[in-house]
Amino acid sequence: MSTTTDQEESGQPGTRRDSSSLRVTWLVARRELRLRAKTRVFVITTAIMVIAVALAVALPAILSGKSKQERIGVVGGVTPTVSAIVTEAGRLSGGRAVVVAEPSLAAAKTALRSGDLSAVLVPNSEIFVKQVPLGGVSGTVGTLAQLAGLSRLIETVPGAATAVAHGVSLPVSGLQAPSASLSSRLTGLFTVIIGFILITVYGSQIALGIGEEKSSRVVEVLLSSVRPVQLLIGKVLGIGLLALAQAVAMVVVFVVAGFATGSSLVHGATLGAVLAGGGFVVLGYAFYCTAYAAAGSLVSRQSDVNSTVLPVQLPLIVAYALSFTVIYANGANTFYHVLGFLPPTSPIAMPVLYAAGDVPAWQVVVSAVVCAAGTVWMARLAAKIYANSILRTGPRISFRQAIRESRNA
Amino acid sequence: MASLELEVDGLRRTYGTVTALDGLTFGVPAGQVFGFLGPNGAGKTTAMRAIFGVTALEVGEIRWRGRPVEEAARRTFGYMPEERGLYPAMELADQVEYFARLHGMNGPAAARAAKHWIDRLGLSGREKTRVDALSHGNQQRAQLAVALVHDPELLVLDEPFSGLDPGGIDDLSSILAERAAAGVTVLFSSHQLDLVEDICEAVAIIHHGRLVVSGPVAELRRGDRPRLAVRVTGDRAAAWTVSLGSATGTVDAVRPDGTAEISVTSAAESQVILDLARAAGPVEHFAYEDRRLSEVFRQATGASVGQAEAEHAAAASAAALKTGAGR
Repeated sequence: MSTTTDQEESGQPGTRRDSSSLRVTWLVARRELRLRAKTRVFVITTAIMVIAVALAVALPAILSGKSKQERIGVVGGVTPTVSAIVTEAGRLSGGRAVVVAEPSLAAAKTALRSGDLSAVLVPNSEIFVKQVPLGGVSGTVGTLAQLAGLSRLIETVPGAATAVAHGVSLPVSGLQAPSASLSSRLTGLFTVIIGFILITVYGSQIALGIGEEKSSRVVEVLLSSVRPVQLLIGKVLGIGLLALAQAVAMVVVFVVAGFATGSSLVHGATLGAVLAGGGFVVLGYAFYCTAYAAAGSLVSRQSDVNSTVLPVQLPLIVAYALSFTVIYANGANTFYHVLGFLPPTSPIAMPVLYAAGDVPAWQVVVSAVVCAAGTVWMARLAAKIYANSILRTGPRISFRQAIRESRNA
Repeated sequence: MASLELEVDGLRRTYGTVTALDGLTFGVPAGQVFGFLGPNGAGKTTAMRAIFGVTALEVGEIRWRGRPVEEAARRTFGYMPEERGLYPAMELADQVEYFARLHGMNGPAAARAAKHWIDRLGLSGREKTRVDALSHGNQQRAQLAVALVHDPELLVLDEPFSGLDPGGIDDLSSILAERAAAGVTVLFSSHQLDLVEDICEAVAIIHHGRLVVSGPVAELRRGDRPRLAVRVTGDRAAAWTVSLGSATGTVDAVRPDGTAEISVTSAAESQVILDLARAAGPVEHFAYEDRRLSEVFRQATGASVGQAEAEHAAAASAAALKTGAGR
């Protein structure tokens, strides 16, 4: 190089060194991508997660297809009234019931024992099941018992059979929209489990990777030509792209497997829950990746990473643990609603609330915007902590110390 | 002397109660192997890290070709830090190539340069070996390859000779000389002053974060007054020197074999000294000698390199006890 005056070296043709900031950041990201994507761990975990999603979608659809129809044995001749009662009982309990004429009570009981029949009805007399469950019968058999009893009561009234055939219950309307179906809730839970795993696993990889750079001292060579913020962004970008690739693969498998098996999961609100969950996984990663990086920069030995990562993970773990109560309870409490809008917990809490039908879509959008704003704030703080701590050797630095110093810097 | 390429100007940096750099100033000319010497704890590493901006300065400026060092300039520098470090799980060739690209080389050029330096440093055949599987000596070579791969205009090496065997020292010094001959400014540090005095053309010697002396090695070793080493047969205490007048020369030291080290006031006085010695007995040895750099240090500071290092170690452990940071 003969020029001694111009150090800027912008990319004019013939310049040997191209030193644009984006290029350096991308080089750092590319190293992470290439090094990690070819490891056996990555390939195997991707395969396991994709298979798990496929099974979770396909199995319920396949299993429910088998048990859709309940067979009710009828002893002593099938009249239109009896047939109507059985069909109605099936319809009212959300399934389908068919009448199977049985020649005798003994034959019917044999079929019941073998599992060929769900129940045996002796009109105007009795209903047999294989075993009465704790808390009494419910579902089709419970409804059948009520309808058959009602039918016996109004037997003497002329035209009752016709009335029964038209249905005996009055329609019930709610003032609010129906609560989310179980399939939507379970999908929400499933999405949150995947999101939690992706954020914590890849977050820990960031912290460990930075701990490695610091403890192996390679960081000093790196920082002699790369700015700390470039190194930080490149790292979370590279690892984040891997996480995103896994997440996208899982969503694609979810949709494809869902449509292929005719699963009810891909209809309506459930698909929305998956998309909301996917969006919040990205937001959650964006929020947490820099925090994990800051945690990694505080240690001198890689083995110390676990202890600095814990405070970062705590909000995630709380939201995750509480999400189970929301999925199984009828409606989330106020506390969990609040978690749904706080950036550290919303990536887990908001998809759960949405899947459980506790919040309208516009609140999901509001929460996402708040989380994005929180991400910017977190990235600034974490970048300062990182830049301050990455070259400091000696004992582990506490978060309080790091935050105090980053304010002064 | 050639014009100064790298100028270190008034650097000051303290760590708590310890002053690492205390107004350090010196300059490095182009195309020379320049030694940055001083006892352990003198502030060499802090100053070198300051060149790369990885340590902050309270006061002072570092200039490269007359302008304050900035990011673009740093990308044309090569650095081997005192605490060596590479990615342990990355393959050698990938690693060297990666650093070449970080310094702005494109893919094919980086691959070519990586191959060149891996071969040049005797690491051929190890391209696909993970760095943590290399021997200690080869890791050192890999580190050097990373510092050299992008054809830097300034090469900064912190204690590059520490831990090398004599063969390794020869290899490295010939590479440094070759780079300097190609016009590269080469700055390396060492606490072993005498070991490297033949390797560098010019030095800056520092102590307590301040410059002690600086200049071409030949001038420093000769000093203001030339040194004569004179030995008279049988006179183990060099008793003959009592008759030496201070106008002629002064005795700096007497070696165990009876050789007197005399600083001569002028070249003409050497014949007076020879006559005195011959009067005392047969003269076995009579020659001009250069001082060792360690002696230059002792004369300038009043303490030997060993004493200075012991003093620093004691101060450092006292400071560590005080802050409880005993690691």
